[in-house]
Amino acid sequence: MAAGPATGKGAAHAAWVMNLLTDLAFNLLIFFVVCASSSKEQKGKPQQVPSSETDKKSADTKPQNVEVAMTRTTVSLNGTAVPLTELKGKLSALLAKKGKPEERIVEVKTAKDTPYAHWIKVTSAIEDAGGIVTLQVEVDREVIVK
Amino acid sequence: MKFKRRKLEAVPPFVGMADIVFNLVLFFLILAKMQDESQIKWEPAQATGAKAVGKPKVSLTIDDAGKVYLNGKQVGLMNMTALVQAELGDSPPGERTVLLKIHKDTLAATFEDLIAKVSEAGGEMVHAVEDEKPQ
Repeated sequence: MAAGPATGKGAAHAAWVMNLLTDLAFNLLIFFVVCASSSKEQKGKPQQVPSSETDKKSADTKPQNVEVAMTRTTVSLNGTAVPLTELKGKLSALLAKKGKPEERIVEVKTAKDTPYAHWIKVTSAIEDAGGIVTLQVEVDREVIVK
Repeated sequence: MKFKRRKLEAVPPFVGMADIVFNLVLFFLILAKMQDESQIKWEPAQATGAKAVGKPKVSLTIDDAGKVYLNGKQVGLMNMTALVQAELGDSPPGERTVLLKIHKDTLAATFEDLIAKVSEAGGEMVHAVEDEKPQ
């Protein structure tokens, strides 16, 4: 039997099957596209914050901890203003002699109007220098006046 | 004269039905996916050291208006510790990832409190950031 254009009832059946197969292939395509887009891998920067400290330091707080304070645009290291570009180098030098993890704790004090974009850059520099970020969070206290 | 009754053969359209079922599955799959955080508007900050993380257990977002969302649902900061603890459950270390999607202009008054509460809840924080472009 020669292969050629089918006509009549056979052709209609072939067209019907082709229609179904195309439909199925299209559905499968959509299914895999949806599956692929939902399993997209997230990218992020891991950060370990051991514990948060209140502004009122307890008596056993070690004074030799490195302190980084930041405002909206500035950064200071142990009370001295430093450009953000130099922070990593200066911190690395300070932390170089400290071997124990508890000695590498860097207390970060942030002004309330500091934007996140600035904060993440500073804390990234601290971590890149080998420091462990610890936040100093101010606690609002309600005082009832009678 | 006797008429012969024609027999009606009603065959359910199985192929068509399977197609509809498959389409419905796809519809609900897409709908479930749409209920994530795609409607929340936020811009990531730039930082170095971003790497691929697995699927986070909890996702916390602060949008450009300062609203806080836990897994796409708006929540308040007041009971954040309890909410994150409930989401994390008894998950072992390494599986307690909390993805923080904080809008780049959010002020410390908001995000520091959130970070402190996640830390208190025992979450392992991962900041969603954009790789810093070289200047």
